[in-house]
Amino acid sequence: MKICRFGDLVICRSGLVIAALAMAGTTLLAHHSFAAFDMTKEQTITGVVSRFDWTNPHTFIWVDVTSEKGVTESWAIEGMSPNYLGRRGWSKNSVKPGDKITVSIRPLKEGKTGGMFIRAQIGDRVLMPTGTPTDER
Amino acid sequence: MPSSRTIGSTALAVVLATAVAGLAAGQTPARSAPTAADWAALAKLPDFTGVWEVGFGAAGGRGAGGGRGSRAGGPPAGPQLTPAYAEKRRARLANPPEDSQAANCLPPGMPGIMGQPYPMEFLLTPGLVTIVIEAYTQVRHIYTDGRPLPEDPDPKFHGTSIGRWEGDTLVVETVGFSPQTDIAANTPHSEKMKIVERFRLADADTMTIETTVTDPEALAAPWVSNRTLRRHRAWTIAEYICEENNRNSVDANGKAGINIKK
Repeated sequence: MKICRFGDLVICRSGLVIAALAMAGTTLLAHHSFAAFDMTKEQTITGVVSRFDWTNPHTFIWVDVTSEKGVTESWAIEGMSPNYLGRRGWSKNSVKPGDKITVSIRPLKEGKTGGMFIRAQIGDRVLMPTGTPTDER
Repeated sequence: MPSSRTIGSTALAVVLATAVAGLAAGQTPARSAPTAADWAALAKLPDFTGVWEVGFGAAGGRGAGGGRGSRAGGPPAGPQLTPAYAEKRRARLANPPEDSQAANCLPPGMPGIMGQPYPMEFLLTPGLVTIVIEAYTQVRHIYTDGRPLPEDPDPKFHGTSIGRWEGDTLVVETVGFSPQTDIAANTPHSEKMKIVERFRLADADTMTIETTVTDPEALAAPWVSNRTLRRHRAWTIAEYICEENNRNSVDANGKAGINIKK
């Protein structure tokens, strides 16, 4: 088994063991607390990306999720900043409108359609929020 | 209607008052133009230049908002408060806000700004060390031209800093902090807070900062914390405009919010 090294390869091939993920914990979110999120839950949603905000202080992946009944809702997935992620292999092109995406999140409280990014998969690419920074930027 | 003479006198008085106030502030003594020798002297100092990032290793302390960072030997001790300030902290924690004002993009000020998960760049010029801090696009000015600390500083988020070199260590003293900054999370300071930072290179691309906070009203003992920073030669400081797309918030009642309107 191979463990992805996120510093030089944030986007790993699927099927590999992902370790030490979702450390977007106490030390990483300087800008705000976790009060809006249910940190005891992990939820996975699948949908189509409608927009990717490569913006400070947080990135947002907007995902259209269609239920079995055919109702489509927009989900807002908050991630780390472009400054932080950009030094760890991400770019503004890591997520594109039209991408079919599966995202694991800490859901917002009160049943709102959003959450905090844990990890995502687009095709055979896995996107992680953390890792050792690269030196190439 | 006042006579033109009265108006003239009033205007003169305003001008004089402004000038006196400007002098009274007295915090920007004239600096002589740097000479070639001044610039050359910088080359003899330890090389602090470049972009540095605070380490967030497993030992990174979180006992205090400002005390994050790498630290050997277990979790760092939090500040020891005087009874009066322990009571202030208890009062805040009795009904703690769900978030800090940083959620509204207000920078934390000192000392918390030195422990953000974003890099900072050190610039050395004659008589001045400038720290460009990516988080919230902040900057600190540390005057190394021999001026004294101000006796009655205006309260500021980063205080007013002077520095001197003790061998290879840059020793920075800072006083005069805004009441909107905290020593650590939910831990207020008094007007007498003073912060002394000792910056030095541990090896070619490692910097250590020992931070000592004293406050005769708030702290029962000096609070010492340590950080380790790593230099990234290839990095540049990136833009960080917190208001660009800030969807987080905390309201006057301390309730955290998030705006997910697309």
